[in-house]
Amino acid sequence: MRLARELGLILASLALAFGVGALVAQLSGLSPGAVYRELWRGAFGDQYRVFQTLTQATPIMFTSLSFLIAFRAGLFNIGAEGQMYLGAFFGAWAGFTLILPQYLHTVVALLVGALAGALWGFIPGWLRARRGTNEFVSTMMLSYVAIYFTSWLVSPRGPYHGTQWANQTVRILPSAELPRFVRGMQLHWGLVIAGLLCALFWYFLFRTPRGYELRAVGQNPRAAQYAGIDVSRAMILALTLAGALAGLGGAAEILGTHRRFIEFFSPGYGWDGIAGGLIARAHPLAVIPAAVLIGALRAGGMGMDRAGVAPSDFASVLQGIVIFFVVAPELFRIFRRIRRERRVLVHSQP
Amino acid sequence: MSILSLDLFLSALRLATPIALVALGETFSELSGVINVGVEGTALAGALINAIVAYHSGSPFLAVLGALAVGAFLGLVHATWAVYLRADHVVSGVAVNLLVAGIALFSTRILWGWRGTSPAAATMNPWIFVAIAFLLVGLSQVYIFRTPWGLRLRVVGEHPHAADTAGINVNRARLLYTVLNGALCGLAGAFLFNNLGRFTDGMVGGRGFIGIAAMVVGNYRPLPALAAAYFFGLVDALQMRLQTYIPSQFSIILPYLLTVVVLAGFLGRANVPKALGKPYLKEGR
Repeated sequence: MRLARELGLILASLALAFGVGALVAQLSGLSPGAVYRELWRGAFGDQYRVFQTLTQATPIMFTSLSFLIAFRAGLFNIGAEGQMYLGAFFGAWAGFTLILPQYLHTVVALLVGALAGALWGFIPGWLRARRGTNEFVSTMMLSYVAIYFTSWLVSPRGPYHGTQWANQTVRILPSAELPRFVRGMQLHWGLVIAGLLCALFWYFLFRTPRGYELRAVGQNPRAAQYAGIDVSRAMILALTLAGALAGLGGAAEILGTHRRFIEFFSPGYGWDGIAGGLIARAHPLAVIPAAVLIGALRAGGMGMDRAGVAPSDFASVLQGIVIFFVVAPELFRIFRRIRRERRVLVHSQP
Repeated sequence: MSILSLDLFLSALRLATPIALVALGETFSELSGVINVGVEGTALAGALINAIVAYHSGSPFLAVLGALAVGAFLGLVHATWAVYLRADHVVSGVAVNLLVAGIALFSTRILWGWRGTSPAAATMNPWIFVAIAFLLVGLSQVYIFRTPWGLRLRVVGEHPHAADTAGINVNRARLLYTVLNGALCGLAGAFLFNNLGRFTDGMVGGRGFIGIAAMVVGNYRPLPALAAAYFFGLVDALQMRLQTYIPSQFSIILPYLLTVVVLAGFLGRANVPKALGKPYLKEGR
């Protein structure tokens, strides 16, 4: 029942957003019909495109989970982008430095990436819990720090400048590669890992005491404290997990897709995670379709551009509109509420 | 050339302007109870509209009006969502940021065929904005702490029920101050455009968030927030000069890192309005 209502709400928001998007396209001198047709074709037109959509959705699943886990604890992790960059670099570093057997090497490199991201989540978490530092601002600021720090590491003056022609590291060893499903396609096992993590975090949040504590802190920190929950610990845990998830996503993206760390490699997957977490209404299992939706907008946007019907960035505008309609809880209940309030008013008349 | 010079302090004064304007706007909206993290995107929208209007009309004055208008409009949107539709304030602000980021890339491509940049267009002297910012901060300090309207503003954020009982329309006040916040962010964006002479999608570059940090350090008072903004402006100015001495990435990092350090070292978070971020329900509690 609740599921049906949530689903209906999301679908209504999406329909409304796509309607407004059509209006924007029309006003910009584009043809809405052609735009949506090419968007669909670019995202789901054939097997190759479906794979491209899923490739884009993979890092977004990680970053959406990252945003979500902090959000459930009442915190905002706006810095997934930077945590992802640190995870990506250190994942790559483990991939070209350590000598380990196949598979084990991949696992270790992923964990190193997760650890680097976790550190970048722990710092704002600790600052929030112990010093009251606004985590929204601090995760955002630390995100810039991580992005430019990794950029320096692979710059010509940095220690890991791996190739002459671009600011990137050397290639990771074959033993560290995250295998791909089909030759010639970028889609890799990171997708499966992300899907499993969605399930795992559903279990963690709704079936374990730690997850319960985390949600309790998110709903009412003072009540949680009276109930004997260590609020500081829950906050630090939430942001550390958030960082670890984003870092893991970055490492998976490098080990599976790029096979080396490249500066500024992310087209904004960290930001997409905020959108994904919100569209999923902070439910871990709903992250999977939400991330696929955003991945489809990305892949479809490129298709639109290739077909010449609209710049790929129209997809970002569409995504922004979708979020607006998804985040207003009252929007679809407002008419009912107005009716109810009027009734209350009538009844309270003497 | 020495790093510390009069020139440095002058450019600090200039670079502090957008941060101070955002901090001032955020002070108003948060005092009334509305958190607006959409300031970053709102400033970007201000810069974008300023570029568009300046490019097509050639009038820098009209362009600034456009920036003010789009800022006020985005403030209106955020207030509608946060106050009337009861969306989470931070989430709604994030939505503003994401939407504007998309629009900036999209509209520059539609208008000029360049992704995220505009051609050069008519500008006015950026020092005008510096003067306006100082004036506004001074006036606001008086308005908030020395006038009955300022008292009402603080009551709305501190104790909305009391304000309601005293005949103040709580939601309308929140709407108005959030619109004001948006207009000030639009002005910050207008400064950024007039300072550079063209629009780029990275031109706000976190200064909106740094503005929020300046507000936090200023502890909801305009003058201390201005001082904090000046400090961040100084760091920004220093950053640009340091690029000749250290790798550019490190100097770019500097303002962001210092913002975290300053926020972490700052403990006097005493004046947070009690009803901040909470919707006001007449019948509730």
